[in-house]
Amino acid sequence: MFLWFIQVLRVCGRELLLVFRDQGVVIFFLLLNAVYPVLYALIYNPEVVRNERVVVVDDTRSQLSREIVRRLDATQEIAIAGYAANMQEAQDAMHRKECYGILHIPREFGQSVGRGDQGHLSLYCDMSVMMRYKAMFTALSNVTQAMGNERMAMRVEPVVSMSGAIVENRQVPVGNPAMGIASTVLLFILPLVLQQSMILGIAMLHGGSIERRRRNGGRDPMAIEASPGATIVGKMMCHQIVYVIPVIYVLHYIPLMFGFPQNGNFLHIICLAVPFVIAVSFMGQTLSAVVNERESVFLLFVFSSVVFVFLTGVSWPRYLMSRLWWLVGDCVPSTWMVNGYVLMQTNGSTLYQVQHPYWMMWLQLPVMFTLAYVVERFINRRRYRSWIAASEDNPRILTRIDMAKNGVG
Amino acid sequence: MMMILKYIGRSFKRGCIQLVRRPMYFLLIVIMPLLCSWFLMDLIKTGSVQRVPVGIVDMDNSSLSRRISRNLNGFQQVNISHRYNNFAEARDAVQRGEVMGFFFIPDDLENLALGGRQPVVSYYVNYAYYAPASMQYKGFKTISLLVNGGIVQTALRTVGLRNEQIESTLVPYQTHLHMIGNPFTNYNFYLNSTFVPCFLSLFILLVTAFSLGLELKSGLSSQWLKNSGGSMFLALVGKLVPQTVLFTIVGWFIQWMMFRCYDFPLNCNPWHMLSAMFLLVVANQSFAVLMYCFVPNFRYATMLCTLLGMVSFSFTGFSLPQEAMYPWVTALGYVMPIKYYFLIMVDQALNGVDLYYSRVYYAALIGFTILPMLLSWRLKKECLNPVYVP
Repeated sequence: MFLWFIQVLRVCGRELLLVFRDQGVVIFFLLLNAVYPVLYALIYNPEVVRNERVVVVDDTRSQLSREIVRRLDATQEIAIAGYAANMQEAQDAMHRKECYGILHIPREFGQSVGRGDQGHLSLYCDMSVMMRYKAMFTALSNVTQAMGNERMAMRVEPVVSMSGAIVENRQVPVGNPAMGIASTVLLFILPLVLQQSMILGIAMLHGGSIERRRRNGGRDPMAIEASPGATIVGKMMCHQIVYVIPVIYVLHYIPLMFGFPQNGNFLHIICLAVPFVIAVSFMGQTLSAVVNERESVFLLFVFSSVVFVFLTGVSWPRYLMSRLWWLVGDCVPSTWMVNGYVLMQTNGSTLYQVQHPYWMMWLQLPVMFTLAYVVERFINRRRYRSWIAASEDNPRILTRIDMAKNGVG
Repeated sequence: MMMILKYIGRSFKRGCIQLVRRPMYFLLIVIMPLLCSWFLMDLIKTGSVQRVPVGIVDMDNSSLSRRISRNLNGFQQVNISHRYNNFAEARDAVQRGEVMGFFFIPDDLENLALGGRQPVVSYYVNYAYYAPASMQYKGFKTISLLVNGGIVQTALRTVGLRNEQIESTLVPYQTHLHMIGNPFTNYNFYLNSTFVPCFLSLFILLVTAFSLGLELKSGLSSQWLKNSGGSMFLALVGKLVPQTVLFTIVGWFIQWMMFRCYDFPLNCNPWHMLSAMFLLVVANQSFAVLMYCFVPNFRYATMLCTLLGMVSFSFTGFSLPQEAMYPWVTALGYVMPIKYYFLIMVDQALNGVDLYYSRVYYAALIGFTILPMLLSWRLKKECLNPVYVP
């Protein structure tokens, strides 16, 4: 047992050395975590859509229609880009992307309202981006409702004594009071950056080791002789040590820097991150078995970020996913981490309240460890042994196989 | 002329052999793009967010408040999955992630309402989950307006107004929304007609960058160049055309899935989109070559392609529109080929406008293809003396 522990420590020490000697891995482990969240935060930082350009086709030209347009122009969401003489002209402006919406006030509008009937307004929205549509729709419905309430109060006054709505209603946006996109999307992305950078780094380290083995007849001069279990745990310890600073920086300081919701207790967030980082380390070691050279990590793992982001439920909620994708999402540590973290930061949940994701990550640990163990013992080590055996017969065989893949010979 | 054909043939053969000998290429050019596209489209196939789990806190327990909760449950936007006794319980449920928001009916609602003392109903919407929050807002807002309407309607009917008059009194201004091209606000149409091609272009960038870098890394680049008679252009053509063919076929297949299987809006001649897809493939390949012209180093060029490919999901303005972003982010968006494909898609497939309005975007995609030819001397210099920095 004591010997095993010594092995673990030696593996951990050697892995630390390898991490800091390898510029590529340092970029993944440290630089990526430092830069990527900032980049994303800057992209989404404007949070909400302001002053979406709308062109008005006003066939009524009455005091009332001008009032509507004036009030729309005064909203945060809409800016009136101008009047168009007719729909053709407005359409042309839209096709030229001079505006993204057309408000049409038909000729009958003034007459209908004056007669005491309903007045009809039409808003034509460009649907290429949902936030645009949502902004225009919100602004128009707020303006028409406010004006409608005033008008209703005016007409009903003699019958029912009221000066506005009978029952007032109030929206209280919780978690993300600005209702901005950065505050929600970024919190989903942050834990994912940690996970992906770690997997990429681990896989690149593994790729480097494979390349050394290929050059040295199946042996890695930098590797420490240890049992599979000790190797996995030792590497995991190293990743934990390296990730202390990135975890604190990404999960705590990035929201602080950009003013995203930060209602979570710092200690609780760190507690939530502990099983996450361990599980991701095991997952990385499992997945890296498919890597054959350092640079193929870009090809094999980068795109998975997009898949994992969607599995967390950032744009499509998890409760609407089909059974299959729901289960696939359950298997990834980031799904649980993200959902726990988002609830903590936005709604100030305690660790006790997000215990479900927390325990799910602890549950993932033994599973991930077993997978990593199986991969290390039955796939990687078997492969190394066969390489050693093959290169004892023919020392050049491994490099020749590599050359053949590049189209030579 | 014969020489050129011979060189093309030789480098083409070499490119094909490389593709075939590494199963990883097949995985990343064919299997993964198709799998990921299917994943995205299957994930969101129902199209709109519905039945958001919400709670209700009814402190009044009057006939009016019960009617509100009954009507609310009838909405397709929300699903009252839990009822809570007080505010604290409901807040705890939101914090635990059990519900995504709740509707709060205060004490004495009916009394105050009928007495004309303007009680306030409030709805707490958790905006940490954006799409469900918007849906909840719609549902909650509508029900609160209906509560109002219900009471006024009863009052007006007692004084003998006709139904049409009541309607026009309650809602004097009726707004009609025309959602061009996507009348049901289908989320699948909106998200995946941009995300899926963006995903494909990420794969194109990665595979191109990787296959070029491998030549530099293995030190075989001078041989690669010699193979095609010392012409960088012919060497690139031979190497990349087999990939172009595969990617284009995959891209067209994805478009077929989008427009035929999942019924995405296609309001133009299909050839407009098919040609845009082909141009997107070539433009992305050229973009990766261009990165090598700027930084002829395996790791940095691949990293640049990865970084830009990943971030292009965000800065091309699929989710936050470009006019809302900082100007420099918007400008950065125009650096990526996917931006132009996105604009073509919006113009052609979604809005079905004249080709005339999209001419610039097609031209830009072609421009991406020409650009690396002007700079390929830099890559050639590196190919003659490859230095691999791990």
